Amino acid sequence: MSEFRRPGRGLVDYDSPVKFSFDGKTYDGFEGDTVASALLASGVHLMGRSFKYHRPRGPVGAGSEEPNALITVTRGKGRMTPNLRATTMEIYAGKETASQNRYPGLGFDAGAFNNVFSAFFPAGFYNKTFMWPKSFWDKVYEPFIRKMAGLGPAPTEVDPDNYGSVYATCDVLIVGSGPAGLAAALAASKKDQDVILVDENPQLGGSLISSPEVTIDGLSAADWRAKTLKTLEKSGNVRLMPRTTAIGYYHDNFVALAERHTDHLPMVEPGRIRETLHRIRAGEVILAQGAIERPLVFDGNDRPGVMLASAAQTYLNIYGVAVGKELVVFTSHDSAYNAAFELAGANVRIASIIDARREVHAHLIEEAERRGIDVHIGMVVSGTKGKKRISEVEIYESVHNDRKRIKCDALLMCGGWTPSLHLWSHSKGSIKWDSQTGVYLPDKANENCVCIGASNGDFGVKAALDAGSKAGGGRKTYKTEEPDFGVGEVFDHLPSYKKSSKTKAFVDFQNDVTDKDIKLAVREGFHSIEHVKRYTTNGMATDQGKTSNLNALEIASKALGKDAPQVGLTTFRPPYTPTTFGALCGYRTDDLFEVTRKTAIDPWAEGQGAVFEPVGVWRRAWYFPQDGEDMHAAVARECKVTRDSLGIFDASTLGKIEVVGPDASKFMNLMYTNPWSKLGVGACRYGLMLGENGYIYDDGVVGRIAEDRFHVTTTTGGAPRVYRHMEDYLQTEFPELDVWLTSTTEQWSVIALNGPNARKLIAPFVEGIDLSPEAFPHMAVREGSIFGIPTRLFRVSFSGELGFEINIPSHFGLAVWKALFEAGQEYNITPYGTETMHVLRAEKGFIIVGQDTDGTVTPQDAGMNWIVSKKKKDFVGKRSLQRSDLVAEGRKQLIGLLTDDPKVVLEEGAQIVADPNQPIPMDMLGHVTSSYWSESLGKSVAMALVKDGFNLMGQTLHIPMAGGVVHKATVVKPVFYDPNGERLNVL
Amino acid sequence: MSFDIKIDQGVEIPEVLQSGRVVAELAGEKVRLSLRVKSADRTAVAKALGFTLPAKIGATSSKVGITCACLGPDEWIVIADQDKGGKLYGKALKLASKYDMSVTDVSFRNIGITVTGEGAADMINVGCPLDLRLAAFPVGSCTRSVYEAVPILLYRRAEDSFTVECWRSFAPYVVGLMAAHRSGAAST
Amino acid sequence: MMLIHCPYCDEKRPEIEFAYAGEAHIARPDAAEQQEMSDAQWSEFLFIRDNKRGEHCERWWHANGCNMFFNAVRNTVTDKFVKTYKMGQKRPSASQISKWNEGGNV
Ligand SMILES: [Zn+2]
Repeated sequence: MSEFRRPGRGLVDYDSPVKFSFDGKTYDGFEGDTVASALLASGVHLMGRSFKYHRPRGPVGAGSEEPNALITVTRGKGRMTPNLRATTMEIYAGKETASQNRYPGLGFDAGAFNNVFSAFFPAGFYNKTFMWPKSFWDKVYEPFIRKMAGLGPAPTEVDPDNYGSVYATCDVLIVGSGPAGLAAALAASKKDQDVILVDENPQLGGSLISSPEVTIDGLSAADWRAKTLKTLEKSGNVRLMPRTTAIGYYHDNFVALAERHTDHLPMVEPGRIRETLHRIRAGEVILAQGAIERPLVFDGNDRPGVMLASAAQTYLNIYGVAVGKELVVFTSHDSAYNAAFELAGANVRIASIIDARREVHAHLIEEAERRGIDVHIGMVVSGTKGKKRISEVEIYESVHNDRKRIKCDALLMCGGWTPSLHLWSHSKGSIKWDSQTGVYLPDKANENCVCIGASNGDFGVKAALDAGSKAGGGRKTYKTEEPDFGVGEVFDHLPSYKKSSKTKAFVDFQNDVTDKDIKLAVREGFHSIEHVKRYTTNGMATDQGKTSNLNALEIASKALGKDAPQVGLTTFRPPYTPTTFGALCGYRTDDLFEVTRKTAIDPWAEGQGAVFEPVGVWRRAWYFPQDGEDMHAAVARECKVTRDSLGIFDASTLGKIEVVGPDASKFMNLMYTNPWSKLGVGACRYGLMLGENGYIYDDGVVGRIAEDRFHVTTTTGGAPRVYRHMEDYLQTEFPELDVWLTSTTEQWSVIALNGPNARKLIAPFVEGIDLSPEAFPHMAVREGSIFGIPTRLFRVSFSGELGFEINIPSHFGLAVWKALFEAGQEYNITPYGTETMHVLRAEKGFIIVGQDTDGTVTPQDAGMNWIVSKKKKDFVGKRSLQRSDLVAEGRKQLIGLLTDDPKVVLEEGAQIVADPNQPIPMDMLGHVTSSYWSESLGKSVAMALVKDGFNLMGQTLHIPMAGGVVHKATVVKPVFYDPNGERLNVL
Repeated sequence: MSFDIKIDQGVEIPEVLQSGRVVAELAGEKVRLSLRVKSADRTAVAKALGFTLPAKIGATSSKVGITCACLGPDEWIVIADQDKGGKLYGKALKLASKYDMSVTDVSFRNIGITVTGEGAADMINVGCPLDLRLAAFPVGSCTRSVYEAVPILLYRRAEDSFTVECWRSFAPYVVGLMAAHRSGAAST
Repeated sequence: MMLIHCPYCDEKRPEIEFAYAGEAHIARPDAAEQQEMSDAQWSEFLFIRDNKRGEHCERWWHANGCNMFFNAVRNTVTDKFVKTYKMGQKRPSASQISKWNEGGNV
């Protein structure tokens, strides 16, 4: 076993050795190890290169706060994840990991020249240097920056993994499973609360796992933890969720949890969910996230082997790994003494404790001396040496200018503790500055939430346990034996004899920000911490400054000569730790990304090889190509057969609203521009709906089924908003009306038959309806049956041909369609899609709301004054139609266009001008709204919105296209086909 | 010429949801009526129909083959088996001429999917954000809500049994989401 | 995702069931009033809305719930609902709103 292992310590399974690879080399570890702990056990501290200067780096921490040891993990095609923290990645047999930001190798890195020339890379370097010329950005600066800076490469293949997402509700959500979290869970569980307890680590217990010297109620910390976990597991009302990170805290105690299911497993069955996003609504949230130890800022503090004292404790107690053989401890807080003593107890030589403070409790010094550890009070580390790993520290005392060198293979540092306020801040809880300890603490809650234990500044196991019990609704006070957590001193500046130009003391390890950068930012006029942050990028890396924010604040406020609270604190934002896009998407990928609504007849169209187009969230058959036809050929054929004989079209997506009640016609009168009172039962009418602003909002055919019942149709895309518009007016403006609305869009399948043979086709199958033109004229609706299925049969036409729209209950839609298609063979029945439908209606000059109108078109503009009642006192939009702007001359009006060259089909959206020789920018008169090849007419037809269009009849306008071609077209009335509507009367 | 006019709900329950701890099934053809009744006439209409129109939003009444849920201040949905519901529409239509009310047939608008088995609530919570703990959503509760992007009607038939109704074209999405959850959960 | 108290359902429901529906208490003038209004007054009614920092009266629609439109006082700074109330109830006075604020949100 490796000389760095301490068998008997830690939670790793010494009976289960695991081999994994790092940068192509195989390493040994045990089940329960992380990549970092296993590498440390193999004597490896160098795990990555830094972002900007490519400096060699090793792990600073042992958990999710880790800024340095970022690695890429690969497990097969598409499963490459960059920027993972080696400190949280559990190993499994065959795990492939690699360091980042180095070329050609971790040991020697070409980009390290950035380090040598780092004097040229101060804060704001990129901002200042790459400003000019602008054209250099794409080709020179950006590629350079991307190559030299940055973290791991983004994956290029599709992620093959599955992710999930669920909602859940609980009474109490506890984040963090240290002593505070466990005690809270115990208490809440006893109160019969539904509890969810989450922890980002694989093992629950937090600091209890690395506190072997602590006893709780007479049990060792380990035994108490085990007993407590067993109790909670058995309680039935506590859900324990390890490997689960609370990534964001939102309104009304809505907390997002990302649970990792498989990243730690050697074998993952296909299809298994990798991560689940739990969207939790909690009655109460208890935040027990603990505190993060603060690094000290001194020259060379980023050398591999320099790490937080608590991290060394964690490596020892959770993984059984000594981070070195001969350690130096550098601290400004008592807690590091405990770490040192514990490591000493595990057979690690502690060469010295360097304490920056001038005064330290005697009992600590005595205990150190008892253990044979040198203590240097009032001294600081002024430099470090070593390449892939620290080999020596230089210590310094400023008053007597004492200097001394000490050999070591790891340096532990402790600059105090920073309570974790991330989630508290997400929830908009306020914070207050505690000048004594130099930290921010939670102040007022904004949600039903408490922050307890170390994250509330209450350090020590007993304080955490008691606070936990109280937060969970209990009253228990615990008896503990534990070393005094002690006190510390915050240094905004550690003395040094070196010229500042010769030093490099890092604040933000991940973004390579030094104390000099922060001071420079302040000198250059950045006085708010938010600005300092953006200029220096301090705290903007993937770790969000977990270890750096407060040091940056101390340095900036000192440089500004202000108190820290006056300088502020940067905002914490979700996610707490980097989160995969997969987890955020959950199940909503591929087919589940968005709803695709399909009609009952859709499977038939698919079987026929139809080409589909999306219309809103519906997919509709666009055209039905036969034998290698292109769209043009298919549409020409579909149009021709429909006009000559018979076409069949799936109109099921039309919105339908049943308007029912004694006041139904009154309501219709208010919602539509035209009158409804006198529409007889069994008759239909085209209705035009305006917004209150007077612009066309929607349209559709409405049938009166009974005195008190209208069958209203809307455009496909407009259905939801028309329903809302109607409900809104009914509930809020006309509540006195006795009328009710029900969406019936999907109650009915709608099969439109158009063409001279339409009546002949259905006649044999319709019962209970006299289909003769006298009994069943155009624009009428009858109830009866077809193929024995009840139907609301409309005689309407959106093509200009004899037409019927057969409404049948949607569960019969497909069967009736198939039967009609079969029976229609003798008429060469031809299915057509939305494109042919558009052509046929354009030939007749029927508008499509949203295509020929754009939300600024009035009925007058559309040439539809005939449909606006002059008699009605009120309807939605009426008053607006009288506004001076809306009755003004020269508005854009809907006209027809015939191209001089009948073969030219104008582009929809093309701009129209009067004089193509005018210099650019020309005066634009309007644009083409609809344009098609009309097979029936043997020429193209178009509609356009053109300024003062009605007064331009017969005139020639120009449509200049990209590339210099200019089309000519003549303004006509927008009715191209059968202007007198005779074809409706075919017998 | 003879034609085979088959009924078709347009959705199938994926195999993965057909067995296991939680099972999904299509509810089959139902008669569904949207009833709107002014409060003054509620009791009289209920009496004439032969079942209660509960006054509280979210509450249901049920008798053999018929469930009636209050969805809004003056809105109820009646979901009935075919044999019970056949005559109901005609009966309600007649009442509408007498009382301040309306009735609309929405039988074919919705698809019903029953979800039954231990942990059925979790399957609903895959897409529905409501608190489905028994105290918050007791047996007999019925409400409109959402299942991810889909508007649904949710009815709790028993502690471990729900009916999710949605508009026909949304049903494949709903069962697709359930199936994705099951496929993943089966191995987790 | 917020919870919003629906005054008709009389319970707090997830925000995703609701749709925002603009500023509240802007009554549509009746037919006679419309004709008396100048274009400028009509434009004011149509287009001009408050953009308040603080308590704002606004309409919400419980679209995927009871289907009712209702009114709410919401603080646009904190995003907290102070109170929701049924359609037809009067606009609450400033003193009423501050009373609600003291009593905590609904
Ligand atoms: Zn409601």
